[in-house]
Amino acid sequence: MRIYAFCVYLFLYTPIAIIALFSFNAGRHASQLQGFSVQWYVRAFRNPFVMDALETSLIVAFVSATLASVLGTLAAVGLQTMRGPARAVFDGVIYVAIMIPGIVIGIATLIALVTVFDVLNPLLASLWFEDRQPPRLSMGIGSLIAAHTMFTMALVIVIVRARLASLEQVLGEASADLYATPLATFMQVTLPLIAPAILAGFLLSFTFSFDDFIIAFFVAGSETTLPIYVFSSIRRGVTPEINAIGTIVMVASLLLLIIAQLILRRRPER
Amino acid sequence: MTDTGYISKWKFMEELRRYRKGSVSRRHFLGVTGLGAATAVLGTAMPALRPRAALASSDIGDRVVLATWPNYHDTANFDMFTDATGAFVQVNVFGSNEEMLAKLQAGGSGWDVFVPTNYTITTYVSEDLIEPLDVSKLPNYDADAFDPRFSDAGTVDGTLYAVPKNWGTTGFAVNTSHDGGTSLTSWKDFFDRTKDDFSGRTMVHDYQLTTIGNALKYFGYSFNSVEESELADAERLLIEVKPHLFAISSDYQPAMRSGDAWLTMCWTGDGKQLNADMPEIAFVLGREGGEVWSDYYAIPKGAPHRDAAYALINYMLDPQVNAREVVAHGYPVADANTNALLPEAILNDPILYPAQDLLDALEFGAAATLTDPNRAELLARFKSA
Amino acid sequence: MTRRERNWLLVTPAAAWFVVMLVLPLSVIFVFSFGERGPAGGYVPAFTFEQYANLPARFTAFKNTMILAPLGTIAAMLIAYPLAYQLAVRTDPKWKIILLVLVIVPFWTSILIRSYAWIFILGGSGLPALLEMVGIEGVRLIYTPFAVLIGIVYGYLPLMVFPIYVSLDRLDKRLLEASADLGARPFSTFLQVTLPLSIPGVATGCMLVFILLMGEFLIPALLGGGKVFFVGNALVDLFLQSRNWAFGSAVAFTLIVIMLVTVTVYMRLIARLHSGRQDISIM
Repeated sequence: MRIYAFCVYLFLYTPIAIIALFSFNAGRHASQLQGFSVQWYVRAFRNPFVMDALETSLIVAFVSATLASVLGTLAAVGLQTMRGPARAVFDGVIYVAIMIPGIVIGIATLIALVTVFDVLNPLLASLWFEDRQPPRLSMGIGSLIAAHTMFTMALVIVIVRARLASLEQVLGEASADLYATPLATFMQVTLPLIAPAILAGFLLSFTFSFDDFIIAFFVAGSETTLPIYVFSSIRRGVTPEINAIGTIVMVASLLLLIIAQLILRRRPER
Repeated sequence: MTDTGYISKWKFMEELRRYRKGSVSRRHFLGVTGLGAATAVLGTAMPALRPRAALASSDIGDRVVLATWPNYHDTANFDMFTDATGAFVQVNVFGSNEEMLAKLQAGGSGWDVFVPTNYTITTYVSEDLIEPLDVSKLPNYDADAFDPRFSDAGTVDGTLYAVPKNWGTTGFAVNTSHDGGTSLTSWKDFFDRTKDDFSGRTMVHDYQLTTIGNALKYFGYSFNSVEESELADAERLLIEVKPHLFAISSDYQPAMRSGDAWLTMCWTGDGKQLNADMPEIAFVLGREGGEVWSDYYAIPKGAPHRDAAYALINYMLDPQVNAREVVAHGYPVADANTNALLPEAILNDPILYPAQDLLDALEFGAAATLTDPNRAELLARFKSA
Repeated sequence: MTRRERNWLLVTPAAAWFVVMLVLPLSVIFVFSFGERGPAGGYVPAFTFEQYANLPARFTAFKNTMILAPLGTIAAMLIAYPLAYQLAVRTDPKWKIILLVLVIVPFWTSILIRSYAWIFILGGSGLPALLEMVGIEGVRLIYTPFAVLIGIVYGYLPLMVFPIYVSLDRLDKRLLEASADLGARPFSTFLQVTLPLSIPGVATGCMLVFILLMGEFLIPALLGGGKVFFVGNALVDLFLQSRNWAFGSAVAFTLIVIMLVTVTVYMRLIARLHSGRQDISIM
């Protein structure tokens, strides 16, 4: 059994090791080792396209994960006591949102928004004041955040609702018995208890958004996220710069995780 | 493109100054000036910028985005451009003109310069996706120095939309150490041998024009045919050879170099690059004919960094720079000024400049193939078959 | 404010978001799927069933997806289960978390970069060259369905390990001891106690991976050499090469219907198999 586990880890880490190894390659090519160098790390940090893509990715991931966590939690709380056909419709929509492949979301969002913008832009232009440039709607960071939020919000709702289902009945009633208002009940009792689920939803959303290529590929317009940058670089023939970026991202997320773990450890067990 | 109404010029210049000083971010600048993510409108605001054009050469921003083909540049030239102007060049590589067109049609490509092939330019013009060029911003462009065969297509209805980059041919590259002593000389050989001793070792482009065109040449039809019965023959051939293919991809150099692939459809410069490093790889033009083409530099409508776009094109047209490009990528240029700087060996290279009788058999791609729904669907069917 | 009003207030922002970013796009592709391709590509309005009639032209893509997605899911499950079991049941609690995190860490490197590493490993100068050294010649791996399968299993293994681990970890160890005390051999304990109790985790993992695989595009594109085509690749081609939005919409819509039917049937089956327990679905 142990040997088996070892083999699986070997399978998981061989490609990672190769990525890291070649990031220190002195040569241009990602397939022939030509000595040790950190020049590709320096290049990656100096390259404004990489830094911009990283910035865009972080902004998109943070904003969409935040929106998804807040709106998703509100919806989950609202849905908890909702009944009837509205509830059934909502459940159906969430089901579909999770089920639909990213590629379909990407393509459908692209053609829907492009079509809607084609109608709205002349309308906006005709309504606008003479001396101002009318705003022009187009695909970009806004559409990307909107699309990521849609998908990750569905995830948050599912996660938070699972947690709520196991809590609210008992605790809510107990608290109401003690004459607490619904808001106070929520803030003082429910929220702290579902906080771990919200946090999990946020992290999942962030990871999803940060790593997503296929939706972004279609809806990001002229914005470049890190995965899009990597994709276009791969087609140009990979230089070790890409390996350097991959290694940095992995080490950074590992560090974050360790820090989070240390912080959580300090707190006494509930 | 809407060009009614302007942002107040004063306000725009104010914001621009702040942006240049670095006190506001690019995003703030674009947002406040009402340009938003649609940097497209920067183009229409250009009249307000004209007085500053004189400064452009020294202040073109810190980036320029180029959409081009694989293995088509000397990266050292980009580094020198960055050193000279402060603008980094981001290179996006594409495998077919269709892909470029689709990206531009969907809007917001974010490109500043792209490299369309001769036969596509009229479509870009009719679809309103390409910017007319202001020759005054391209002092290095010497129109008279270019062979008109390879620079004509850049002008549509008297307006200059694109300036020539390189020309070349589409043949195939074959690793002769695997041909068993019998060389391949035609598209008939290419497909027949793929089914035979090159089975599992052949690559074709992920590109309707050349993959379908060369299959058409197998039967002796026109490279540009949109005749249904002829396309049906080509499709039958392609689907028949599909199980014998190594891959369908326009980026075939890595596989040819590693020895995974032995035979591939191939453009001039790739043939030259492969042959230079591995003499056993030969570049062959099919006896039946095939494609001769010419690529151009152009600026798409709504390019976000237009000054940088002009600066980059102008830089690439500098004969010194262009000559370095040719030495690096092995595609010929139609520019007499550049050719004057090239060594004899390159000017006499049969890969770059094939024998006249082979060249005579070649055809330029036709605009109809780009928009013909049957050719597009045929390639998609072939790939998903 | 009544509870009803309050609920609506809480739900409205999310609902609006779903309407604009999900219902609207899906409605648009539904409408477009009855249209026609424009002269230079794109879409022109029409009402025709031509696009749906043309679906057999993508039969192979659907077939590949319908074969490789379940196959990849099962392969990932078979590889993940023993590892999750080892981690949850047989590992010292001190090491558990670290080992589990180590399973997930690769997931944080872009799938693009990881797949590129596989191009190198499976390509002529990688694994086949190693095999040649030990005398096995002529092995071809890259750009085959096998390469795609490897990529799939590799890419989604963590997603499979995690839910299985969770379900096994929750399992009351006293049950196992009790079973052993009653004289059951380890293997029959596994079959009769552990396996049934871990079915929810397995079902969840399988569904997650299956859903993602049905829409897969990158792994076949990078490791399949343009020959191993999934529906996702056909879709990208239709929108980014042949620019046939109408037909692309029809293919996309068909994929959605197939997925909804398959997944719904699957959940019903699992629910029945697991005697009606509801904690299986990811809902």
